[in-house]
Amino acid sequence: MAHTVLVTGATGMIGQALVPLLARRNDVGAIFVLTHRREYMGSSGKVMPVRGDITAGPDLAMTRELSREIFDRTTVIIHAAANTRFSASLEESRAVNLEGTKTLLTFASHCPQLEAIAALSTVHVAGKRTGTVCEEDLVHTAGFVNSYEQSKYETELLLREHMSELPISVLRLSTVLGSSTTGEVSRMAAIHHALRFYYNSLAPMIPGKPDSLVDVIAVDYAAAAVEHFAVEHLQAGRTFHICGGEDVLTLARLLELTREAFLRYRPSWRKRAIEMPAIVDLPTFELFARSVEEVGDNILRGSVAIIKHFVPQLVYPKIFRDVECTRSLQAKGLLKPSVLEFYPLVVRWLVESGWGERGTLAGGAGA
Amino acid sequence: MQVGISAIEYVLGSDTVSIEELEARGLLDSPAARLREFGFSCARLSRESSYALATAATNKLLVTTGVDRASIDALFYAGATPACHALETSDPLSAFNYPVAQLQYESELSQARAFGVSQVGCLGLMASVMLARDFLLFSKNASRALCVSADLSPVGCKREMIYNVISDGACAVLLQKECERNRILAYRQITKGYYWNSIARKNEITAAYFPTARNIVRDTLADADLDSSDISCILPHNVSLRSWEILLGLIQIGREKLFADNIGKMAHVIAADNWINLRDATETGRLCHGDKLLLFTFGFGANWACMVLEH
Repeated sequence: MAHTVLVTGATGMIGQALVPLLARRNDVGAIFVLTHRREYMGSSGKVMPVRGDITAGPDLAMTRELSREIFDRTTVIIHAAANTRFSASLEESRAVNLEGTKTLLTFASHCPQLEAIAALSTVHVAGKRTGTVCEEDLVHTAGFVNSYEQSKYETELLLREHMSELPISVLRLSTVLGSSTTGEVSRMAAIHHALRFYYNSLAPMIPGKPDSLVDVIAVDYAAAAVEHFAVEHLQAGRTFHICGGEDVLTLARLLELTREAFLRYRPSWRKRAIEMPAIVDLPTFELFARSVEEVGDNILRGSVAIIKHFVPQLVYPKIFRDVECTRSLQAKGLLKPSVLEFYPLVVRWLVESGWGERGTLAGGAGA
Repeated sequence: MQVGISAIEYVLGSDTVSIEELEARGLLDSPAARLREFGFSCARLSRESSYALATAATNKLLVTTGVDRASIDALFYAGATPACHALETSDPLSAFNYPVAQLQYESELSQARAFGVSQVGCLGLMASVMLARDFLLFSKNASRALCVSADLSPVGCKREMIYNVISDGACAVLLQKECERNRILAYRQITKGYYWNSIARKNEITAAYFPTARNIVRDTLADADLDSSDISCILPHNVSLRSWEILLGLIQIGREKLFADNIGKMAHVIAADNWINLRDATETGRLCHGDKLLLFTFGFGANWACMVLEH
């Protein structure tokens, strides 16, 4: 029997890449795309956008008839909806990420044919841990860089509690950059904004160490991996890292590559002679950030706000092991695009599209 | 051959005005309390012209040192704004009346070749010192050069620029060949014309300031074959203490090495700060023979400069 898939967060960066992959599958008969604020663009015969809200109670703010239909038909839930705004308060993050997931699990418990719930998470549930982070690792007391990380951590604890009664797998993504073939970015996230600040000489310093590892992945790889684990290779009770793993860049190399790409794709940028952001320790960055917040104007405050809510993760160096994920994907013939190859393409797309303002960005400036 | 700095004298605006008073007069953009947090307590305002300040500083140096005025082979005159380089009257041709020439004449520096150094903002005096050093190194018969900066806050301007309190003042620096004191070991200057419009690019300048400063300090130390641990004292430009604390983090030099005594009591005297601080650090016994000193400054334009001296 063909799957009926319910996708939350379909207008996000992963969701936009994932739904077309699902729609192409012969073993997927229908896809309910649950959207809240944004309208889903790109409906096809199999794709049925429905308005709903994972924070609105067990019916997800749908009509009783519609929710009944989805209960009855759904075999796979891919839960990608999240508040990914790093500057959100913990209360705001929990409202969507933790409470929304709680609601969705209640909803899922009413689905008689349910075979799988693939819950998207982040490798950064590891928070301020350092060292090697394995796929099954979760509980720690190291703390978190931002409320997004903490709320997703709490969500994973919730998901683990329900793994005995529901077929849940957790898919932790690292930072999703853009397409590995075109570099296109469908939704701007904090890292893209940070690159824009660098391009415009508004990124003076980054907290971290030159050899801090930066784990980024291509959106097409991430979407294909989610498709694989959600529909094809159901592994209830498991957690997978969809990340760069050992194919990562140091922070210093990332900045060099960025600079090289700026110069290659916008030669006139050279004459500005903009310095690479300085890599500094956290106290120095925090002193600068505090000073800008006290006296800087909105442009500089915006730059610092973007950087301060996610980049301090680099002060806590770690490497994410993705052994199980890679093994499973390689068996399918899905190879991870090399970061050295796709990263410059993403920077090129950002530069040439004016960070999407001259291109066809589907989304706004979300996190 | 070595060139060193044998004497420094300075004068400040005669009126000491607290930052609270500056705020009351509408001369600040930021609250006085905030600027006090940044290390400022007052500014020195002059009732005299920049030329009068330059004359006073020059005479003070010449009298104090007793140097033979005819032995000075070059005079460099720095000022951050065009007004500091003009002695204009109602006659349009007075635009060609230059203070450096008048100073050369009135100070009886009859053998000194005269040069004006402008358009480098607060780097004026450091750039002059470097030009003077080069002049001495390449002029076989020259032995002494005098550098003078004189700055007044432009008419109509507030007393705050990018969160820094501005004072009026002038400073004279005497360089000599074969001078053991304050030998110049290295100097670098970076000009980034992208930031030429200091009003429109205020945010970008603030952001560019730190990484560029870090890089020029690193490279100047390398030129002198030193690293940051070799530096005994930093003689700063008197911008906010907060910005120095951030920069110290970037260049990995401890706060205790920063000579910050003058930031509070005299604020930012445009081009003169580093040299005033060198003089006062010397006078207060802060420096020892052989100490390696780091001088850093930034000026609109935009220019970054760093010098390493051996005391």
